[in-house]
Amino acid sequence: MYETKYHKASSVADAVSLIGESDDGKLLSGGQTLLPTMKARLAAPSDLVDISGIANMHGIKVSGSTVTIGAATTHAEVARNADLQAACGSVACLAAGIGDAAVRHLGTIGGSVANNDPAADYPAALLALGATITTNTREIAAGDFFVGLFETALSDDEVIVSVSFDAPSKAAYAKFPNPASRYAMVGVFAAQTANGARVAVTGAGSDGVYRQSDMEAALDSDWAASALAGVQVGSEGLLSDMHADAVYRANLVKVMAGRAVAGCA
Amino acid sequence: MELKGEYRIAASKAKVWAALNDAETLEGCIPGCEELDKSSDTEMSAKVALKIGPVKARFKGNVTLENLDPPNAYSIVGEGQGGVAGFAKGGADVQLSEDGDETILSYQANAQVGGKIAQLGSRLIQSTAAKLADKFFANFRDALEPQEGDVKD
Repeated sequence: MYETKYHKASSVADAVSLIGESDDGKLLSGGQTLLPTMKARLAAPSDLVDISGIANMHGIKVSGSTVTIGAATTHAEVARNADLQAACGSVACLAAGIGDAAVRHLGTIGGSVANNDPAADYPAALLALGATITTNTREIAAGDFFVGLFETALSDDEVIVSVSFDAPSKAAYAKFPNPASRYAMVGVFAAQTANGARVAVTGAGSDGVYRQSDMEAALDSDWAASALAGVQVGSEGLLSDMHADAVYRANLVKVMAGRAVAGCA
Repeated sequence: MELKGEYRIAASKAKVWAALNDAETLEGCIPGCEELDKSSDTEMSAKVALKIGPVKARFKGNVTLENLDPPNAYSIVGEGQGGVAGFAKGGADVQLSEDGDETILSYQANAQVGGKIAQLGSRLIQSTAAKLADKFFANFRDALEPQEGDVKD
């Protein structure tokens, strides 16, 4: 690892000013992507601004049907939160399947969302649920937030404070994990929301998470796994790599969507 | 890995060809290009900063133009060292054809990435390379077709 300066931010405002003063600084939350990258010397930020200790960025609040999760909340906390399990079990279940135990106890929802890895799990849930990402300066709808491969609408000195969404009447997440990394080769989050059926796919699109509108239309007329049988999923624009080619991924999108709908509770 | 694409550019073939041979235009179009110096008509040296998610690597290398067939076609070949990050090399065969007042640019490119960046990023190299190639030619088209409100990156 290259030399870097470590700062522990005491508040969101403190983090914003520290990152603004730094030469080439990075926000550090759980560090489950950033630290391995730094250890491999593939990134060398001049400063690390640790936001994991900021008190009001932690915890999960369920009021009525609205769920708010602090950005520094770890995947393990999301997975075992009883209020969330009751209000929106699919998201708790998704968090329980991220990475391995070590990743879940350090990695955070804000970090995952800000990194926008094209195979990360949370972006599928947030996009399907029409979540709102709240930063130190504004609120961003999930549909506008996830811009492309590792790209988000965030500016360099913007800090995600929380994410919030309305609990859907039904939802489930199904993923085909890479056996080594547990990243989604393909993951599909299906939800019946106040705005209709929503199907968001992660791990497959070469521009990151996306909504499968043909499936949404099919589910709007008939909410059943069998309704997806007639939907054609092309391989164009899908990721192709040593683990799975685009055609295989296209097939997985269909299989995982079927499992998600069938598994909806 | 192999990449290909086609662009329609609202400019004459001669103008597109000139731009393809102009270091300043190329510098403005290569994503992340910090420097491009021409050492001869067909040789340039470049510094390119690549940012993919958490990875930030700076490549230093050479760009050469080969198989020149003005104003119809050439090959642009690049090779760079990114220190511990690894190396990248690639090339593109570029063809121009006239279509009325417009020019159709088509390319077939290949790219190889090695070293640490390839190991860690194996699942993302293909889509990143495709994206960078696409960005380059889109920037190139925009450079030749000045439009209002254009955003270049």
